Amino acid sequence: MTGLRRLRIVCQLGCLLGFFWLFVATEYRGLDELPYPVSLLFRIDPLAALADFFAPGAFAWQLLWPALLVIVATVLLGRFFCGWICPLGTTLDGAGRLLKSPGGRSRPGLRKIKYLLLLALSAAALFGVQVFGWFDPLSLFLRTLTFSLYPVYNLFANRVFDFFYDHHLPLISDLVNGAYPFWRDHLMAFQQPVFALGLFTALVFLAVLLLEKFERRFWCRNLCPLGALLGLCSRHALVRREPASLCSDCSRCQSACRMAATGSDGHARSECVLCFECTEYCPAERVRFGFHGREGSGQVDLRRREVVTALAVGALVGPTASIAPAAASADSYLLRPPGAVAEDEFLRRCIRCGECLKVCIGRALQPAWLDAGPLGLWTPRLVARFGYCEYNCTLCGQVCPTGAIRPLTLEQKHKTVIGLAVLDKDRCLPYARNEECLVCEEHCPTGRKAIVFEQKQVLVQSRIKILKIPRVVGKLCIGCGICETRCPVEGRSAIRVTNENESRRKRDGLA
Amino acid sequence: MDRRAFIRRSLQVAALTAVGGLPCLDLQALPAVAADPPLALRKGTDIPRLVRETVAALGGMRRFVKPGETVVVKPNIGWDRTVELAANTHPEVVREVVLLCLEAGAGRVRVFDRTCNDPRRCYRQSGIEDILREIPDKRLRVEHMDRRAYHELVIAGGVKLNRWSFYRPALEADRFINLPIAKHHSISGLTLGMKNVMGVIGGNRGVLHRGIDQALVDINQVVHTDLTIIDATRILIANGPQGGRLEDVEVRNTLIASPDIVAADAMGTTLFGLQPTDLPSVVAGARRGLGVMDLDRVKMV
Repeated sequence: MTGLRRLRIVCQLGCLLGFFWLFVATEYRGLDELPYPVSLLFRIDPLAALADFFAPGAFAWQLLWPALLVIVATVLLGRFFCGWICPLGTTLDGAGRLLKSPGGRSRPGLRKIKYLLLLALSAAALFGVQVFGWFDPLSLFLRTLTFSLYPVYNLFANRVFDFFYDHHLPLISDLVNGAYPFWRDHLMAFQQPVFALGLFTALVFLAVLLLEKFERRFWCRNLCPLGALLGLCSRHALVRREPASLCSDCSRCQSACRMAATGSDGHARSECVLCFECTEYCPAERVRFGFHGREGSGQVDLRRREVVTALAVGALVGPTASIAPAAASADSYLLRPPGAVAEDEFLRRCIRCGECLKVCIGRALQPAWLDAGPLGLWTPRLVARFGYCEYNCTLCGQVCPTGAIRPLTLEQKHKTVIGLAVLDKDRCLPYARNEECLVCEEHCPTGRKAIVFEQKQVLVQSRIKILKIPRVVGKLCIGCGICETRCPVEGRSAIRVTNENESRRKRDGLA
Repeated sequence: MDRRAFIRRSLQVAALTAVGGLPCLDLQALPAVAADPPLALRKGTDIPRLVRETVAALGGMRRFVKPGETVVVKPNIGWDRTVELAANTHPEVVREVVLLCLEAGAGRVRVFDRTCNDPRRCYRQSGIEDILREIPDKRLRVEHMDRRAYHELVIAGGVKLNRWSFYRPALEADRFINLPIAKHHSISGLTLGMKNVMGVIGGNRGVLHRGIDQALVDINQVVHTDLTIIDATRILIANGPQGGRLEDVEVRNTLIASPDIVAADAMGTTLFGLQPTDLPSVVAGARRGLGVMDLDRVKMV
């Protein structure tokens, strides 16, 4: 059985590396269609499927069928996903090693939390509030990579390259400078990523890692709702452990199991992640896994009262949160990526994985804090002063794993309205200071330009001057925001995109 | 000492002394241009042939590029637009000029532009990256701008600019070949050779739109163009510089080439039914000794 353990470790590392590879490949590198976006990972994420199930509209079978396969496999085999595939699980195994976390079952009562969390989240989703993504381990891992780790990696890598570029050391500098273009084009972001919630996201991740100090795989044992979902599915899995309870002469399993799946009450298949470590540390080499043997008895005992409480909490929080005024109606500058569905459905679909932000070629997307409403944390918003939506790019819709951002063809994209640019005449140079400037008009990408100019005679220091004055044509503007990004006025732009006219909003049809 | 040597010397001095000061370039100390510049205007639908004929009329590429020299070929790759929309220099023109440089024995040919849309998209969509990748020659580099290679210069005698950052590889190259496409431009009137040099400067280029004509002369006095070839195989007559509609494109099958950038731009205005005097940057350039705008004084070859 040591072979299985080794295979498991190879599989874990392979999945993690594969995940990183997909992550780095989720960037525009010359192809309009991404061949290997990291969203492939979410297609096997049952929690993403659950979120999609609760969202309005039809279930995205063609996108999420692999997740259902994972469920079926879990019903048959057990929680292998957590032990063999999950990138967060692998990272936690590594962190546990570094932090020398204690094994065994120190706080058995905590294991319930994940089930109760899953129930509460599901009840909330049923009542219209979907925040699975906050707790989904894949989302957690991916958005930490996107918002924090990858930008920091880029920062360091750039610092190193810059050092050898600025300080010419013979031989070394030539080597490093020679490697730079390849590195930049294949292993780094083309431009340094900049995200508002980098620190906060990193701290959340760090907290999850530090929980290892208390117990091995604290997150997976006690908190992870995906683990809970897979645990529920694997209660009667066919793969069984023998012996199904502690042996009378040895209680090694009780203290050594990373998931504390085996205790005095027996072996719990809903907790076991099939790491096969026990086949190795058992001093008598008694432990076997197979399709025979007794059912273990050590399942997590959920009391009816707790279940009802969790469901009630979720069912109450949902409606309570949804009676808050919609953020978009008060904040004209809350813009969503092109192809995003209507705000209500958008929040119910988005699993806060941060993929659209990772792939955004114009660096236009930023994670929302509380500015998109309390439930909008980590959802993408388009901040056009930092970056704009590239006219011929359709990447965000391609990578969205749950259809919160619909994939658009180029033709559809060109007609999808993100918002409407509005000039601030108190700051716009031709209006406010009679100075020449048409940068917004120059960059406006629509075929028939949505920013036009009119010539006007103005009096500058008692001389008549012909000035070109920009004007936005509301019917043509798609709100890509390049005008706002490029406006040469310092600080806040003199032309800003508001969410007026956005295609995704449901409105009455006025002829 | 020509401009380029002057800049290189000043950069070297700055690097050697390694003090906080910026290298300073005095525009007034620069020599005036030779009179009666040659200018070639050719028409034809076979682009490679057209390029070769036009350059041959000026005496061939060997007149401009000496063996072993580093040559920068600077097309306009500014926009995420396909070839037929006439927002970027025609890829076949770029390829042929690059081939001519390589044939003339250039030690290295570098092609780059600071784009307006995402650089990767522009390089691809313009067709320029793909067509140049087909040239199997190690001396050729199609590269994205290196953000670290911009260098700030003090410009003494600059009318609009007294300090700006420039892309060092463009300054340090032995030869700078300017390959603009002739386009309408909402602010500067037209974009031709002088405007195309804005693709090798750093900074917030948007602010230059206030008083762009003198700024263009300042920039062009820092970055000296050895040969300007204006691509007018198709031109953008409205909605420039980005375009996006075939209605705004006119096919002209024309190339204009001259070692004098002002003369080339002056001739370029006629493509649009204008006079050289109609384009303020040409007038400013001629006035400040950058080149000759009077088409009667230009030697047609």
